[in-house]
Amino acid sequence: MIEARDLRLGYGRSTVLREVGLTLRAGELVAIVGPNGSGKSTLLRALAGALAPQAGEVAIDGTSVGALGHAERARRVAMVAAEERVDDDVVVREAVALGRLAHRPWWHWSGGPDDEAIVEAALARVDLSALADRAVATLSSGERQRVWIATALAQQAPTLLLDEPTSHLDLAGAYATLDVLHDLAADGAAIAVVLHDLNLAVATVDRVVLIGEGTILADGPVEQVFRSELLTRAYGAEIAVRQTTDGAMVAIPVRRAHGAR
Amino acid sequence: MTVNARRGGNLIALCVVLGFALVLGIAIGAVALAPSAVVHALTHPHGADDVTVIVWALRLPRVLIAVLVGGALAASGTLLQGMLRNGLVDPYLTGGSAGAALTIAIAIVLGAPPPLYAGLAFAAALGTTVGVAALARSGRGVAPERIILAGIAVSSLFGGLTTLVILRSPSASASLQILAWLGGSLAGHGWDDLGWAALYAALGFALAAAVVPALNAVRLGDVRARALGVDLERTRWLVLIASSLLVAAAVSVSGVVGYVGLVVPHVVRRLCGSDTRWALPASIPAGAIAVVLADLVARTASPREELPIGVLLSILGVPAFLYLAFLRRRPA
Repeated sequence: MIEARDLRLGYGRSTVLREVGLTLRAGELVAIVGPNGSGKSTLLRALAGALAPQAGEVAIDGTSVGALGHAERARRVAMVAAEERVDDDVVVREAVALGRLAHRPWWHWSGGPDDEAIVEAALARVDLSALADRAVATLSSGERQRVWIATALAQQAPTLLLDEPTSHLDLAGAYATLDVLHDLAADGAAIAVVLHDLNLAVATVDRVVLIGEGTILADGPVEQVFRSELLTRAYGAEIAVRQTTDGAMVAIPVRRAHGAR
Repeated sequence: MTVNARRGGNLIALCVVLGFALVLGIAIGAVALAPSAVVHALTHPHGADDVTVIVWALRLPRVLIAVLVGGALAASGTLLQGMLRNGLVDPYLTGGSAGAALTIAIAIVLGAPPPLYAGLAFAAALGTTVGVAALARSGRGVAPERIILAGIAVSSLFGGLTTLVILRSPSASASLQILAWLGGSLAGHGWDDLGWAALYAALGFALAAAVVPALNAVRLGDVRARALGVDLERTRWLVLIASSLLVAAAVSVSGVVGYVGLVVPHVVRRLCGSDTRWALPASIPAGAIAVVLADLVARTASPREELPIGVLLSILGVPAFLYLAFLRRRPA
């Protein structure tokens, strides 16, 4: 369980988010949504312990995240960050095996047979076993995203944080990724995922955290957060929420006549 | 694991080639020795014949110094290129050779006895690198781009000062002596210098071995490495310390020998991939082969006097680098 209390987050002297309180429990899949630059990734980084808060505290199972060593933190929280350059010849299995790094002394070159079994299981879980010997750089965006999820799975941390894992994926790929996360949450993981696409969030998660105006504007079940006035406030543009004939909710920007404000 | 089988095969091949290079390096010289006589002398160190004396007192320490210099520079280049994720990084980038060069230039002008040079060069190389690392410090760690900038700045400052010392030195022979040191040479060192250099290089190699898993994680990106539990600050400091020890050990017995630390890591990545668990061990025999063979050419190409090995390696190394950087196709 991760608990953030009275967080103020930012970089240098500028503050991005203030008065942030958030609890992430085992078995939950939570989407963090909000406009560009609102601080979604900043919040995720703070929860992962990668960004020290300007004020407040993030605690993992009651221990302040800042007090944990690097490896200890990696054993408790796995983070799938946004795209980053990978060396050309890193092979999928090798990348996923690096997920085991925090489970052995830092100067040990390789893991043991137990580690290998965990890596193979992580690969199988995201359906990557067939691609295990391919170079990561040669995979499609969707396949690469699965590599990072498998790496995080190999970390065997009870908490998983993902920063826009669906940003380069097509609709089917995005849903498939969220399906994997759903299964993991059902197995007891605590998962927070930053999503760009509101409708993907509403269709796939149970709880949504809406960020806007420099803080958390709403946090709760989809029906409670997906309200036109809240979304309009967060995004600074008029957004309507409609229900489809089969009861699903969708958020749609309201079109304005040209020149009208 | 076909990939690892290929990498392992290449690593063994490098060691075998190094073995041949060593025998050649010992056999060929002012007095040519038969390879069988070399092997006999090596296995019977207490013989009193000329061959045994040549092998044990002259040629063996010299080829072992070549192994140390080549292995240390190539390993240092592999470490720094891996940490900074930049194939243009050279172990001398952190200012070690420039600091040593200026110190030796001043020592020669002041008339310091030559046996002190190795120790002075070592201390100066280490001191300069520590200074560059201190300049590049950022928070708890060191910022990669600041290491590059600080290294370039300090190196050019010391380079300018060295030129000034050469121009203003009281005698032409002192200037020539400084230039000879700058050109690199493995001559004039015996078992004592080798022993000290090997001790410091061994420390460097041990630290390098400890950062191998962290450097592998860095291949996925710095943010990911941190998320996987890597202490990037500690890793960068250890890489800098290991690399400084290796460079200082090499410079103390060779002067400035360029391009090995830049080019050999590229060759090694072609042979064994960029997985540091393979690239670092493979860089040692690969660098050693380059320097043992270059030294062989340096001392035998001209009958009258030795060629400076640093200059020779630059002449051979630049075309190799240009080929690797611009003409090679992408690795499969």
